[in-house]
Amino acid sequence: MEILAAVSDSPFSTWIRESESLFGYPMFILLHTIGLAIVVGVSSVVALLMLSGAPRSVLAATRGMFPVMWTGFGINAVSGLVLMAADAPTLAMNPVMWVKFGFIVAVVMLMRSARRFAAADTDVAGAAPSGRARKALAAATLACWLGAIVTGRLTAYIGGPDFFVE
Amino acid sequence: MDGRMDAVVTWIQGTPVSEALRQSQYAFPAGETLHFVGLAMLFGFVAILDLRMLGVARQLPLASLHRILPWGVTGFTITFATGLLFIFATPEQYLNDWVFWSKMLFVALAGVNVLIFYAGGIYRLVETLGPGEDAPPPAKAIAATSLVLWIGVMFFGRMLPFLGVAF
Repeated sequence: MEILAAVSDSPFSTWIRESESLFGYPMFILLHTIGLAIVVGVSSVVALLMLSGAPRSVLAATRGMFPVMWTGFGINAVSGLVLMAADAPTLAMNPVMWVKFGFIVAVVMLMRSARRFAAADTDVAGAAPSGRARKALAAATLACWLGAIVTGRLTAYIGGPDFFVE
Repeated sequence: MDGRMDAVVTWIQGTPVSEALRQSQYAFPAGETLHFVGLAMLFGFVAILDLRMLGVARQLPLASLHRILPWGVTGFTITFATGLLFIFATPEQYLNDWVFWSKMLFVALAGVNVLIFYAGGIYRLVETLGPGEDAPPPAKAIAATSLVLWIGVMFFGRMLPFLGVAF
């Protein structure tokens, strides 16, 4: 708890939390929204292409969208860390936040698998990832993103260090 | 907005729907969650289509992306419906706020941009865009405008608690 308090009491975190400047908390919450729209949005469309049975040539071409997805993820990771640091004792002790992190870790692994599938699809003469595996990957990706969004919103309503204390 | 929408605000506040939404402890959490889900669906489709027209992932044939159009339309429908929910729940927070109306202006302009894309014949220029092919300048202009407008929608949406008089 002392480390968390030290993080949120740092000059930068204090400024983020208490400043009235639009370049403080408002900017980082905006970046978090834009990052979400990019990474979740583009990743979901790629998942949909897999679920819809798009040809291997199309799935191979989705490789070009992965830098976009990772850019969105990077924006979210940085903005998320800043927002969390601004209220570290509350957010870090919120179990719902850790469930959200679980979904995010899972979806990062799924995105890496999707990237490997897309790379395999560039070799049209080679073995294709199985349709079942592809569809399972896509469905799991969509489910994890939904889970991350739901739990992310719920942190504003439930949780915190004293919420679960009787 | 200086209270010009006061009559509309008062009427909405008096409706049973508005009363029920204000009493519900689940309406706002559920509505906000769905608003973000819809936003991701809509912007995901818009971004991947626009970025392709701007030259990202050029091996993607545009027709295969355009087949995902129902996903984007569903996303817009979800954001629209949840947006109406917010307005009916707390009309006083939105209808007299210039930030909200700026957001609606950007949504309307994005809609005009879509109309120009389809009705203006731009889509016909790109619907058969194959792997490696470059979109013509009019399509690139539409795509760039689309991205700017939808990011503008997100900007004004996110700034509601910080600018204007909504919160």
